[in-house]
Amino acid sequence: MRRPDRQPLAGALLRTRSRVERAAALALVLSAAAALPLRAEAIPAGPEREKAALEIEQGLMCHCGCTDLTVRVCNCGVAAGIKDDIRERLGAGQSRAEVIAAYVARYGAQIRSAPSKQGFDLLAWWMPFVAVFTAGAFLVVLVRRWARQPLPAPAPAEGPAAPRDASLERVDRVLRDIL
Amino acid sequence: MPELGTFALLLATVTAAWAALASYNGWRSASGSLVLSGERAMLATWGLVLGAALALESLIFADRFDLEYVASYSNRALPRMYKIAALWAGQAGSLLFWLLILCSYAALLIVLNRRRNRPLMPVVTTTLAVVALFFLLLVNFMARPFVGLTHPPADGQGMNPQLQNPFMAIHPPCLYLGYVGLTVPFAFAIAALATGRLSESWFRTTRRFTILSWFILGTGILLGGWWAYVELGWGGYWAWDPVENASLIPWLTATAFLHSVMIEERKKMLRVWNMTLVIVTFLLSLLGTFITRSGVISSVHSFTKSDIGPMFAGFLGLATLVSGALLVYRLPMLQSEHRLDSFVSRESSFLFNNLLLVGAAFAVLWGTLFPILSEAVRGVKITVGPPFFNEIMVPLALGLLTLAGICPIIAWRRASPERLLAKLRLPLGAMILLAAGLFAGGVRDPYALVSFSLCGFVAATTLLEFAAGTRARRSATGEAWGRAFVRLIDRNKRRFGGFIVHLAVVLILVGITGSSVFKQEQVATLKRGESFSIGRFTLTFDDMVSRDTANQEFLGARLLVASNGHPLGTLLPGQNFYKAGQNPSSEVDIRSTLSEDLYLIMTGFDPQAGATTVKAYLNPLVAWIWIGGAVLILGSWLAILPDLRERRLAAEARLRAVESYAQA
Repeated sequence: MRRPDRQPLAGALLRTRSRVERAAALALVLSAAAALPLRAEAIPAGPEREKAALEIEQGLMCHCGCTDLTVRVCNCGVAAGIKDDIRERLGAGQSRAEVIAAYVARYGAQIRSAPSKQGFDLLAWWMPFVAVFTAGAFLVVLVRRWARQPLPAPAPAEGPAAPRDASLERVDRVLRDIL
Repeated sequence: MPELGTFALLLATVTAAWAALASYNGWRSASGSLVLSGERAMLATWGLVLGAALALESLIFADRFDLEYVASYSNRALPRMYKIAALWAGQAGSLLFWLLILCSYAALLIVLNRRRNRPLMPVVTTTLAVVALFFLLLVNFMARPFVGLTHPPADGQGMNPQLQNPFMAIHPPCLYLGYVGLTVPFAFAIAALATGRLSESWFRTTRRFTILSWFILGTGILLGGWWAYVELGWGGYWAWDPVENASLIPWLTATAFLHSVMIEERKKMLRVWNMTLVIVTFLLSLLGTFITRSGVISSVHSFTKSDIGPMFAGFLGLATLVSGALLVYRLPMLQSEHRLDSFVSRESSFLFNNLLLVGAAFAVLWGTLFPILSEAVRGVKITVGPPFFNEIMVPLALGLLTLAGICPIIAWRRASPERLLAKLRLPLGAMILLAAGLFAGGVRDPYALVSFSLCGFVAATTLLEFAAGTRARRSATGEAWGRAFVRLIDRNKRRFGGFIVHLAVVLILVGITGSSVFKQEQVATLKRGESFSIGRFTLTFDDMVSRDTANQEFLGARLLVASNGHPLGTLLPGQNFYKAGQNPSSEVDIRSTLSEDLYLIMTGFDPQAGATTVKAYLNPLVAWIWIGGAVLILGSWLAILPDLRERRLAAEARLRAVESYAQA
């Protein structure tokens, strides 16, 4: 499925300063969106559509300003409006990606609750695993090398050992067993 | 009084500066009197900062709204408990509170180390005094708590309603005690590096402080989760908010240190790594305060935003530079021979545990800071929220859980594969049985199956360690089971305290898995007498309830709860309308049992139609997170308490030293 890439437009929208400029940019974005051929994969009404709606809710941040929550869990009026709108859009035949793209076009990439999985944003997703696997590979090599080093010969006992209490010896033995 | 507070803070700046200078010069010139003077100046700083904090508290209690801070964060009707908490409700007050904790730690350290660690103490005092000086500069010149108003209001704006919760009164102090406590090991690490006294004594001295700070920070994080759960009204306890993340990151690196320090104790290895972990943990706790207080990343926690960001960034940079330079300078002295008896050993399993813990800390830090990177590189603001962290952290957490199951049963030095497999047989059997039982019981979610099974595996290996120890002790001493069990733990507090912490983590993960995978949700708009169902519960709207107090007006919907036709009582979710004029806050009501929480939020009401809208969540197993928290506290305390084994080892070491001296 082709995903319309509207990020440059969204970026232009974000970078503009005045209200007039924003309105103009928004109009541009919306008209561009309208001009795009809709390849809707209509999701049939029922549990599947509800599941899609919940997924989209989870993928969008609520922009009500009072909390940092996804639309899925925010209880404010703004979130309720977005939830209705999502279902309306799905009902009109839009796909998951199209609904999210419409919100990104309108509010900027910030509205997504997680980075997209393309372009520069992929760095966000891959970096932690690349770091852990690289460090892990390095660690395996290091530990293998350390384990191959010859162990030092045990140091000779220094002088005669102090006489020890038999019970202390027994406790030692037990501790050695369990530690 | 405000003048007194301002004066105390200015004077404290002078005494802290003197403490830093005198201690440093006393150390450089080996002058005992200068060192002593530095320590006394630090004690004086503590007294002055305490005086300033008490002055601010008394002004809050006296309703002195001619002060900007008091007018912004308190009002006449604010209950007494929250008037105390108002000290840390705003920027300036919380920085002052942070400073007070830091100075209290410093004073405690100075008193405790009058005879111990003398060679290290001058640099420890210098480090603590420099950190205190930075915060003093902030509260004196950037975020001043004692600023007056030319037109004082008749009443204050009051505290943010969401902060008016008993947990909120203890959550920030806990986090701060944890964060600031991490400065102590850092100060000792810097002292060890500066003086070149890099023997193991520095971390032996600070190990207890590290566990204490680690456990207080962990408790603070859990209390924060509890607060979010009962107060924020969205049915969850962790939102991967930048500030939550900022508290988790140093906790993860401190956890890594608490494990890897054991290898240094046994094998004298990883000295550079451990030093790095202590330094990084402190820097991350500073970064956490920076993120919380600067508003550099937008967050629900950034209750106040100001321009202290650049100063914080500068200090963070300076601390990184100085500690990094010291570490590089002492690298030759920190080199140690790295030898392991075998690839399959407790030592190497701890190294992989460190990899995953530090990897998890990096992943959270990376996700938290990525929006800044994205904006800097592409000019595009993005959000890195819960879906990202859930996806990244689940595999890392499961990996850690697996290691927590394997580590305790791998022998130190060299584990024979046969013996390891023999020890693994029972826990693996338990894990497979549990997985099969869950599958037969209808659990199909792969994450839930893997997570619960691994939890069973870790619990089994850990409990088997308790059983094996008790049995060995019983056969050696002939004690009864109960007595042998208690004495086993009593004589090996650190080891078994650690195991209890592992069990606590298992309980917490059971709660997290249950409540995130099997969560159910229903929303209904009801008129009186109407019902809706969620899970096994039926909820019937009975009536609206209103209550009026001096501070707020409460409006709630009373719902009758029944399960399979049996009445279970009533729940009363509602909203608080504060008279000081802030937005209403949601007051959830929860019916909590060990198996599930029924969590109700009143999201709306229509007085004309006599209808209310209620959102209900069914959060399975969530209570186990809080039970796990209590177990965590128990285990941590056990690990902190003096250990007989440790004392015996120390006594034997002293005896050997005396004997070798006598023979020489």
